Amino acid sequence: MWPIIISSTIFIISLVLIFSEKLNRTITAMIGAVCMVVFGMLFHFYGEDQAAATIDFNTLGLLLGMMIIVSLLEPTGFFQFLAVKVGKVSGGDPAKLLVLLGAITTLVSMFLDNVTTVVLIAPVTILICEILGLNSQPYLMAEALLSNTGGVATLVGDPPNILIGSATGFTFLDFLTHSLPIVIFVWFTALAILFFLFRKELAQKPSDLEALTELNAKDALKDSRSAKKVIVVIFVMIVLFLLEEFLEIRPALIALGGCAVALVWTRPAIQETLKRVQWDVLIFFGALFIMIGGMQAAGVFDALVNLAVHLKSLPTVVLGLILLWVVAILSMIVDNVPITIALIPVIHGLGAAGIPVSALWWALVFGAGFGGNGTIIGSTANIVVSSLSEKTRNPITPMLWSKRGLPVMIGTTLVSSLLYVLFFSFLSR
Amino acid sequence: MKISDCMKKKVISSKPDTTVLEAARLLIKYHIGSLPVVNEDCQLVGLVRIRDFMTLVLPDFVKLMENLDFVHDFGAVEDDIPDAELLNSPIKEIMREPISVDESAGLNRAIALLQDHKMNDLPVVDGSNHLVGIASYVDIGVALMSNWQLQ
Repeated sequence: MWPIIISSTIFIISLVLIFSEKLNRTITAMIGAVCMVVFGMLFHFYGEDQAAATIDFNTLGLLLGMMIIVSLLEPTGFFQFLAVKVGKVSGGDPAKLLVLLGAITTLVSMFLDNVTTVVLIAPVTILICEILGLNSQPYLMAEALLSNTGGVATLVGDPPNILIGSATGFTFLDFLTHSLPIVIFVWFTALAILFFLFRKELAQKPSDLEALTELNAKDALKDSRSAKKVIVVIFVMIVLFLLEEFLEIRPALIALGGCAVALVWTRPAIQETLKRVQWDVLIFFGALFIMIGGMQAAGVFDALVNLAVHLKSLPTVVLGLILLWVVAILSMIVDNVPITIALIPVIHGLGAAGIPVSALWWALVFGAGFGGNGTIIGSTANIVVSSLSEKTRNPITPMLWSKRGLPVMIGTTLVSSLLYVLFFSFLSR
Repeated sequence: MKISDCMKKKVISSKPDTTVLEAARLLIKYHIGSLPVVNEDCQLVGLVRIRDFMTLVLPDFVKLMENLDFVHDFGAVEDDIPDAELLNSPIKEIMREPISVDESAGLNRAIALLQDHKMNDLPVVDGSNHLVGIASYVDIGVALMSNWQLQ
């Protein structure tokens, strides 16, 4: 019993620390992981070798590969180029601008890290809004909310998806067939809610249209040669992701292979490129694996599964909906990565106990993906746009988020629940 | 040569409670780029530079972006002016910790400080931090170059 209490206490204290923002999440996770190993050794439920073996290098490899690819694309000005381009296409019409900026951010973040995408597109968004004389809040919030939503559609769109893909063997193609169709519906729902909530701001007339036509997208693209090379590599990687099952290779190999090719082809200053990699995220993941591994070794998840097995009498679709909403609500307040990593062994355990779990994985994907939209701290993209907007004349406040973001989260989770029930038999396959 | 040999001894300065607008008017009147802030005893307590005033009007996106070459027209923000509240606030709210040198300092040290802190003017103080002069990059640079000759 002691191992269960000790390991869960370490994990819960870590989650509370992360939630309270008293301590940076990576530092918290590292301390938690160290405590888990030390107490595991003292109470004989966990050891160093076991801890090292819990780290999922498929997930870390895929994340690292995608991060290096993005850090190669970042200095080329490609993201700024895209934002300026769609800004000009909109002709300064607020509604068109919102749809186009939201759509391009979504599309890019379906394949590339959405935090980097938002970090790079949001400043251009503020620029376009300021020269047009528009309030930037709706556009920034739309970018975060829509890219969070869109990221659910692909294996590499969102860290929880990478984790779930690695744990279950769901392929890139599985995500396109099972998640993408639902995400498309949910995305348009989110867009419709945004249009309704921001109807006042979107009725604003831009005061200086000429400035927009004077923007030069080509000048924003500082290094078009490198940008083209990296984009070619990304396309090849996507094709390989689609052929993953046929070629019998893992996504991590494709991602790391792709970035190796891109590095050879573009020959960047490697130290600068690697500086832009989010090492803190990778360490956060590694430390979480070690913490969750400790709980697993202590028998926490077996105990949870034994409790959850009583839910066996419930229809799986109800179980799925409960999971979807619980995860969505938890993701609003805590990082969805630790939640996902913790739920993976639970769902595996339920599967071993004879409950059909295929559809439960998708409930986890949707809950973790759409839940983060609910609060200003629910996802990193939300934090990015709000902290960027703090430096502007129209800051995005937690209050504004609860009025505009929370309805989007509730609406999208409702629609995804509905679609989840409708397509349940397909998702169970 | 010492900094005291090339500095301007008549310094335009302001008090911490001077408003932003009054301080800006001083810069305009004397066509200067830096304004030392002194207390009742004429001790140096701060420095405002024309740069600090400019950040009050520059659009937000300028702070957020590295590359602005592609923005040819600043549109709606071109004619922005700070709001009344900001113009009425005391200068001590936007002034920064002063970087200064003692009047006995050499020219190389003075120029190095200016380079390091990306400043154009360097306040000069005496042993008890009283403002006694100010030297611009040009004042110091010209004084330094005047020693140059072919050997």
